[in-house]
Amino acid sequence: MDATRLEISRLYHRFGFGPRPGEYAKALVSGVAATRTAALTVPAVDAGAATVVEPAITDLGKRPAANSKEIVPFAIALRFQTQQMVVWWLDRMAASDHGLTERMTWFWHGHWATSVDKLNYALPMFKQNKTLRATCLGNFATMTKAMLNDGALQFWLDGQDNTLKAPNENLGRELMELFTLGVGRYSEDDVKSISRALTGYQVERSNGTVTINQARRDKNPVTLLGTTAVFTGDTLADFLVARDDSAQFVAERLWYRFISSTEDMPATFAAKKAFAARDISAAVTAMANDSVMRDEKFAMVKSPVEWFISACRALELTPSQLKTPAQMINFLEKLGQVPFYPPNVGGWPAGEAWLSSATAQYRITFATWLIKQSELRVLKSLTPAQRLMQSADWLGVAEWSPRTKNALRDAQADPAQFALLALCSPEYIVSA
Amino acid sequence: MDTVTRRKFLKLTSGAVAVGAAAPLLSIDQIAQAAIDRPLPAGTPILVVVTLYGGNDGLNTVVPYTDPLYYSSRPEISYKADQVLPLDAELALNPAMKGLKTLWDQKKVAIVRGVGYPNPDHSHFSSMAKWQTASPEKHINTGWLGRWVDSQSEDPMLAISLGSVLPPMLAGAKRSGSALPLGGLVIPKGTLANQCAQLSKPSNKDSKLMAAAATSMRNLFSVSTNVQPVLKAPAPVDPDLPTTNGGNAGGDSNLAQQLDVVAKLIAAGSPTKVWSVSLGGFDTHANEANAQAELLGVVSDSLTRFMGQLKSTTRSNDVTIMVYSEFGRRVVGNGSQGTDHGTSGPMFVIGNKVKGGFYGEQPSLKNLYKNDLAVTTDFRDVYATVIEKILKSPIEPTLGKWSGRINFL
Repeated sequence: MDATRLEISRLYHRFGFGPRPGEYAKALVSGVAATRTAALTVPAVDAGAATVVEPAITDLGKRPAANSKEIVPFAIALRFQTQQMVVWWLDRMAASDHGLTERMTWFWHGHWATSVDKLNYALPMFKQNKTLRATCLGNFATMTKAMLNDGALQFWLDGQDNTLKAPNENLGRELMELFTLGVGRYSEDDVKSISRALTGYQVERSNGTVTINQARRDKNPVTLLGTTAVFTGDTLADFLVARDDSAQFVAERLWYRFISSTEDMPATFAAKKAFAARDISAAVTAMANDSVMRDEKFAMVKSPVEWFISACRALELTPSQLKTPAQMINFLEKLGQVPFYPPNVGGWPAGEAWLSSATAQYRITFATWLIKQSELRVLKSLTPAQRLMQSADWLGVAEWSPRTKNALRDAQADPAQFALLALCSPEYIVSA
Repeated sequence: MDTVTRRKFLKLTSGAVAVGAAAPLLSIDQIAQAAIDRPLPAGTPILVVVTLYGGNDGLNTVVPYTDPLYYSSRPEISYKADQVLPLDAELALNPAMKGLKTLWDQKKVAIVRGVGYPNPDHSHFSSMAKWQTASPEKHINTGWLGRWVDSQSEDPMLAISLGSVLPPMLAGAKRSGSALPLGGLVIPKGTLANQCAQLSKPSNKDSKLMAAAATSMRNLFSVSTNVQPVLKAPAPVDPDLPTTNGGNAGGDSNLAQQLDVVAKLIAAGSPTKVWSVSLGGFDTHANEANAQAELLGVVSDSLTRFMGQLKSTTRSNDVTIMVYSEFGRRVVGNGSQGTDHGTSGPMFVIGNKVKGGFYGEQPSLKNLYKNDLAVTTDFRDVYATVIEKILKSPIEPTLGKWSGRINFL
């Protein structure tokens, strides 16, 4: 496989949500180094993303009693706001001129996986999403502090129920296991200690406002990972993030989501060392420069949202304009991935989990539905023979296999069929 | 409450535990065809494994309703003695498990108490991996039933999990159990079918994952399309239950739907010896009582209904059900009307051939180990018994040398 095509394809599909028509061919001319620099340099203003209008997500207040007159408008407003929020984010992913910010926000959403399902209010999730976007390439300690003060995360993991009198371990355990250190890098006694250190948080569920109730706080010193101290949320975040295990863990998570979910991370993976100052941007840059980016061994399956957004970009479609957005969300649900609804605190699966016959079937139906709504501008501007020749560049695919070329050749006279086969091909479902 | 929700938990676990061999996905048609061509010989034992994801609170499932320590340990979430369904002078079932109580009275339910493994792990993901791989000491990539599949002659119908994602339990080194999406698959037809078939041919240029992507689409087409009658037929009817609107009375839930499909396929003679179904949502850190009771009600009602459905088939004596969860919960409530992650819990083994009653020692509420219940029975004792008595196989290829057994069959 052509190494340049491979690396540029990965830069587009893994560090963004796929190329728009023409971008990949242009990048091949500028070369890997220039493409990588461009992919990693976040512009001050993203004109594409700026076109997406922010929805008005408001505080809906206390949930009215069941069977009351007020519950119906409340439930309608809640459903409307939640859908608006999902569609808004998908639009941002599809419209961004520069993919990295949304891509990193997406990564961290799966890391601090919080679901609107339990919260049952859009506003706290909306706020969390903005926090993640603001810190997605910043300092990991800053992000961790912000997340401990995030109402959605606190509520999701029962933080508001964790009190001096009655500690609740849900948040404390996951903070170490899934967010900062990794499983097995602490003891059960540490779980009890950290949970005591995290007591006292209170959450206003409808808007995500977090306060500390001093009367509910356990202010006694605790011994955590060998250190005895009275922690606050901030000092606790600093303490955990400073540990060597934290650099190891974040490097592992980056590896798992950007490089390979099936192969083990080598000790030489550059992201870990680059994370010395806990600068996320430095780790991502090191990862993009690592030689693993050129190694064919490290293929990745696109998750359903990644596949869908890259298809929207190629087909020049805007998620909110699809008929109808509810139908679009329904397709994503069938494929197993709707933003703001991770299946559990561990986030979404990866790799072969997305490759079942069930998803193959839903992908075909979904792609057919999308193609019907696209003008197929790119394909229609090409002759049938050109379609086959130029489709890999159109989609940012490194290389079609002879098998897929044969299938595409048979369909090259029909742009819609051609697009369907290309979007459902193994080479497009998997980032080579 | 639902930080670990539903069956999607499977996906995460299967992502964390590398699956040794790619999981074949079956279509209903394939199974139906196999059932017609080569039905499971009459009288062959069948195992149905029910996984409860999230950590089911054992103490509120099999309740020590006469132990004062039970009430003092968790005043906010204990069941009163007059609410529960007594099994003997000390233990009672959760009030929501009326169906299971009836089966218990018929001596069809074995309750194995205090089941777990050494050095309990309180992480959902790690603990479930230990149960599913049957390797508590060392992280390995194969599941216990996957290794059993490995030890048998190759047959994609041998072990089937309901849902589109295979649980690690069924992943072997060479081969794996199969996954059957609920509701089956719709197979494209006509020109599109031909083109997709072309697109999903194997290519020597494919990476492992691209090959898996191609296989997943190929499986859509590699089946006979004209054998649908088995699955289109209604589920077997429980002769003992009143029917409403032409179907069995009783709640509808994802677990019930899964078991419906299993009942149909068992009735049809699918050459399958192991079925895997699951229910999630048991991670009750807060407001536990209602949530857990509702889930246990679903478990009890679905299993009772399933046992009833089997009565109208010739295989009701062949089926044994095994129910487990990755851990129990802490003895003392956490003050959020819930419980944190704990250690051991009860397992249920249900079937006409099961010797009903209690097995294993009930963990004491007085002598806790680091505030948690002791493990009095190793889950491998149960697995070993199941492998020998139901799957009629030597245990060594699956569990290594393991001497513990439990006499419930």
